[in-house]
Amino acid sequence: MRSDQEIRDLLRSWVLTKAPELSADGLTDRTPLFEERHLRSVHLPELLLLLERLRAAPIEVEDLRPGDFRDIHTMVDRFGGAGVTP
Amino acid sequence: MKRAAAGAAGSERLAALHGIGLSWQPSGQAALRGPLLRLAEECDRAFVRLASLWDAEEERHPASLPAERLQQVGYLRSFPHQATFVARLSPEEPNIDAFLTGPVMDEDGRVELSGLSPVTEVLTPAACYHLYSGHQGEVLDQALYLTTRNICFRQETHYVPLRRLSSFTMREIVCVGTAAETVAFLDRARTALDLFFGLIDLDLEWLTATDPFFRPEDNPRHLLQRVQPVKYEATYGGDLAIASVNRHHDHFGSGFGITRDGRAGDSSCLAFGLERWLFALTDRHGLDPASWPALEDAATTVLAKLRGGAE
Repeated sequence: MRSDQEIRDLLRSWVLTKAPELSADGLTDRTPLFEERHLRSVHLPELLLLLERLRAAPIEVEDLRPGDFRDIHTMVDRFGGAGVTP
Repeated sequence: MKRAAAGAAGSERLAALHGIGLSWQPSGQAALRGPLLRLAEECDRAFVRLASLWDAEEERHPASLPAERLQQVGYLRSFPHQATFVARLSPEEPNIDAFLTGPVMDEDGRVELSGLSPVTEVLTPAACYHLYSGHQGEVLDQALYLTTRNICFRQETHYVPLRRLSSFTMREIVCVGTAAETVAFLDRARTALDLFFGLIDLDLEWLTATDPFFRPEDNPRHLLQRVQPVKYEATYGGDLAIASVNRHHDHFGSGFGITRDGRAGDSSCLAFGLERWLFALTDRHGLDPASWPALEDAATTVLAKLRGGAE
């Protein structure tokens, strides 16, 4: 299973491919990705699939809560290894 | 009378509302006259007074929009189940003759149409669409505040007097500007409404909501609205949204090419459903006009408080 740091790095790389106007220096773990429109709704399905692949566990859409995709830190905290229940 | 029977209006309530000016068609249309019409107009005047908090400019728009304008923001793919299209007989004389020589209408009230012209218009689904469309291509050097009222049309699965209508009246106040300007607008709108609700003694609860997308589970915009709420409804009696504040980000600015500060403008709106206000006010304060709150006075008080810095 990937570590939280690996998930963080892979998420970061993915975000940078989807948000070409965002520089690597400008993207922090706390950058509000959807609030600042770096990511759009069209990115959400792919982001969900990516997170499921990275954590090697499904994500129930019905369980999603406001703010779950706010930034990379929140996503790792919510969906990273620590968030996986066996 | 405080808080009459909960739940949908029953036949007794409908009869009482009829006594103060409601005529109801089970197909979802409400006609107003007398005290109820006067209450509706006072509601609207109060909302317009609230709109003056932002010096919002009034606009008046027609009953329909070109479908291609709505489609610039993906309306028909997001809400096809609610759209009401403008259908007209194809104007060629033989086609009109074919209509007239037919039964015109069947015994269930369905019009027996002959050939139709191509459908290119949609009846207004929400009043504010006209505003963004009408300002298409503008470059804003300051935030734009507008207000308008229109009859809106939506297909629903069922209709309930003054609660769920196929055509209803919507007053909207809109801000188009930077993200910060549209967020400030919504903050001020909620503050103003909370004051207003208190002054007219109406208990409302702000609840997060999502737009009524078709097959929401298949629509990423619905998913985004769930994880990043952009719609809050002032809800009466637990299930009746009588007003909402909505943040659109740059959805309309991008779709209609409105720019502010060198990029697609953001927008947000405050919307009121007039007929639902009539339900809430008569449920809370009863059917006697003498017991209804002074709505315009309350709006004036809100203005004085907020403009006086008591926000």
